Formats: sequence, structure tokens, C-alpha cells
Amino acid sequence: MDKKTRDDLLKLFQSKLNEAMRFYLETCTRCGVCTEACHVHASMGQVRYIAAYRSEIVRRLYKKYFKGRGKFWPSVGEAKELSEIALDELFDAAYSCTGCRRCMVYCPFGIDTQQLMSIAKLLLIGANTEPEILTLLADTSIEKGKSLELFKEGFLEGIKRLEADVLEKWQTEAGTTAIPVDVEGADLLYVALAGAHSIIPAAAVFNAAGENWALSFFEAVNFGAFVGDPTKTKLILDRIVNEAKRLKIKEVCICECGTAYRVMKQLAGKQPFKVSAITEVHARYLKEGRIKVDKSKLNGAVTYHDPCQIARNAGVIDEPRYILQHLTDNFRELTDDPRYNWCCGGGGGLVAMGEDTLDFRMKSSKVKVDQVKATGANILATACENCHTQLSNLNDHYDMGVNVQFLSSLVADALVR
Amino acid sequence: MSDEIQVIKVFDLKGLACPMPVVKVSKGIKEVEVGQVIEAQTTDPGSLSDFPAWAKTSGNEIVKTEQEDKLIKFYIKRLV
Ligand code: SF4
Ligand code: SF4
Repeated sequence: MDKKTRDDLLKLFQSKLNEAMRFYLETCTRCGVCTEACHVHASMGQVRYIAAYRSEIVRRLYKKYFKGRGKFWPSVGEAKELSEIALDELFDAAYSCTGCRRCMVYCPFGIDTQQLMSIAKLLLIGANTEPEILTLLADTSIEKGKSLELFKEGFLEGIKRLEADVLEKWQTEAGTTAIPVDVEGADLLYVALAGAHSIIPAAAVFNAAGENWALSFFEAVNFGAFVGDPTKTKLILDRIVNEAKRLKIKEVCICECGTAYRVMKQLAGKQPFKVSAITEVHARYLKEGRIKVDKSKLNGAVTYHDPCQIARNAGVIDEPRYILQHLTDNFRELTDDPRYNWCCGGGGGLVAMGEDTLDFRMKSSKVKVDQVKATGANILATACENCHTQLSNLNDHYDMGVNVQFLSSLVADALVR
Repeated sequence: MSDEIQVIKVFDLKGLACPMPVVKVSKGIKEVEVGQVIEAQTTDPGSLSDFPAWAKTSGNEIVKTEQEDKLIKFYIKRLV
């Protein structure tokens, strides 16, 4: 690696060194408490998949370039030169970590491995060695924000074609629009994903609740966050923030997408609207009696996988359980404390990398499979697209015999007048 | 298949979860030669804005889009 490349990468490293990050880098005592916390290590048993080991890959570079000791006695401080080999190690550490932060809740110091991996991801971007597809997806989202006028008409036409399906689930009064778009003064802006499954059930529930809502032009997911690019993350986020402000929205409701929710909730800053996950909105409708559901619609035992970015990392834990109480008398928890739930193994951009990561995702999530099987449930509900894909892949691969469902779809299918 | 366009490969992306349609079309376009056309079939309404934005970003060209009920067909020419 030439000096200029290394200097540029070290500048990127430096840009991440805030107080919290320095604390994470300087505090690990190697107590080993996090060893069994990571689903990858628990499933595959290799040292390189221990959370503290991943962090050490970043920490060694920190010791070499940003701490006095490493600068003078590299062997004592276990400092490591930033080289092509170091970049390979950073890639292996960062893209085998789903950013679930289960290790963080075990660590006595609360060391956030996901944050440390964000340094690794930024260095990979700087060296042009990040997964190309994640950057392409992020750039596509940004392009959409820039050229909305070009795509608007086609999108509106596609949405119109879904209206009959929405009305099939919940008939609204004649003359009302089943999927309103671009409505100034709407109370709620629903930010969905590209697929019809993310729009139709949600629309039926909003209409059943008599919500004054509108569908966003943009998809909720933030690929900038997956690839670890702060600038792109913000550009993708701003598309939705600006749309919500333009329409004078009071509440932005994020579809079942964990990363989208966490990014909007924690990175959008102070805005004139509140941010909710669709699960929170559905629980509220039930509490306020705005929708009613029929328990007899759901047959069998149901368990619920808490998406890491919605539950452990953003606190939406009680709401899905409140909803499930209304949907079934046969609910079985996956774990005693949902904050310690195993990750599904698909986060951090791994599912978005598609087939390339499939083998690793299947091997690294064995503990999740065992956890689901132990409940004996035949319906596995979740509230995140990423988790749904990964759990469906696991279901096929391990022949789990469960029916993987979106929680929002279960609500829509159980609606009664 | 469209009459006037010679499609080399058809990709069935119907009902896939986010972001698989874009991921698969990004890979799929590399399976044909520059100048050749693939057909991507989806049922995602969001693809009507995702695919044109992807084409602009990746430097390829959507030569035609057709909608038949819920089925959306993109004819994409590989340019790079
Ligand atoms: S954040 Fe999750 S995947 Fe990453 S090291 Fe910690 S437990 Fe493992
Ligand atoms: S639990 Fe925390 S302090 Fe202990 S080894 Fe893991 S990261 Fe280090």
C-alpha cells in the first residue's frame, strides 16, 4: 500500500474517533464475556468470530497510528501496520458481523462492536474494497432522490394497480383512494419497501383505522448504513425527511425494515414529525380501538423473532407482544428476555449481498434454528424484511417446517369490522 | 417477449424480497454481452422507480417497460 493511500485511510479512521469510539478502543480487558454472545461464534466456533477478536483487528491499527505506545513499541502494543492484508482482515471481521449488538449487552463495559466495525467498513470504502453491490444499491437510492420527477409517473401507475388487492383486504367507502400518495397535510407518511407485500397489508390496516395517511415515493431501507458510508446514509435519509416536511407530515411510519427504522429514529435529528415503526402504530390502533382483529384467523402456535435493530437496538419490544396477544392464545417466546435474542444472522448487509453470503449465513445461524425449533411453534412471525428473508432461507435450508410471516400481514389478515 | 426487441435472457424476479430484484438484475446483466438485452420480470411496484434509477447508476439502458396487470417487464440493454 502506498503512503498516500495509507494516509487517506488514516484520515478516515481519524474521522470516526469520537469520545465513545476511543472508549471502545481503549477499554477491552479481554475478559471473554462476549465470546459466546455472538451467534457466528456460537454456531461456527472459530476464534475470528469472537466479538472481541473482531474489535482487536481495528484496535491494533488504532494502537499503531493513534496511540503513543504502539508508535514506539509496536510489538508490546500489538500494533499492526495498515496494509492490504490488514484490509482483508477488516473485510472478514466487518462482513461476518451483522451489527446485532448482542455482544454489547453482555460486555461489562458496553463495548459496541458494531460501531468498531463501522471504522472497518469506512476504511474498506476508502480503499474501494467494500462489497460493490451495497454501494450500487446506495447510489441507486440516491439517484432516485435526485431524479424523482423522471420516475414518479411509472411508480404511481404501479401503485394504482395494487388498489384492488388492498380493497380485497379492507373495503373502503366509494370515492376514497386505497393507496394515497403525495398528500399534503396527511397525518402519517408510510415509508414502505419496493415489494407489494410491504404495501398492500399496511394500506389495508391504515384504511381500517381511518388513518389520514400517504405512501412515500421512497423506499425505507438505507443501503448507505449497510455499507457504512455516513454521507450516503444521510443523503438517503434526507429524501424521506424532505418529503415528510414538504407534505407537513406529523408522523413518519417505517415499514418492517429494522435498519430503516433505526436510522430514521436515531440519525434524523430533531424534526417536526415523530418517527414510529409500523409495529408501534398497529399496537396503538389496537389500544385505541381503531382496529379490531379476530383471534380465530390464526391457527397454531406462534413465536416472534425480535429484529435486532427494532428491539434490542431501538426498544420496540412490548408492542409486538401486545399485538400478538390480540392475534393468538398460543404465543411462545423464543427467549426469556428479548434483549438477549439471537440475531437471525442476516443483518449488516449480508442478506442484501444475496447468494454470495448464503452459505455463511446458513452456517453462522445454527443457534437461531435451534432456538426456533425449541419453541415447537409452527408460525414464525417477525417485523423486518431482512430477518424475514434470512429466516425463510434458514427454514428452507434446515427444513424447519415453520411458516415465516410478517407481523403486519398477520394483523391485516385478522382484521374484522 | 416483446416483438421488436431480441431478448437474450429472461430473469424471473417476481415476488422477491427487497433488494433482490436489483441485486439479481445487477448480476444478470453481466451474463450477457455489451449491446445485448435482458428481460427482467417483477411484481414490485417500487421497481418502477428502482430499476430506472439503477440503470442510470450502473450505466445501462432500459429500452422498454411494459405493465400487464401486476406484472412489470423491463427490457434492459447492457451498455457497460
Ligand atoms: S454485533 Fe452481533 S454479529 Fe457482530 S460481533 Fe457482536 S454479536 Fe457478533
Ligand atoms: S466482553 Fe467486552 S471487555 Fe470483555 S472481551 Fe468482550 S469486548 Fe472485551
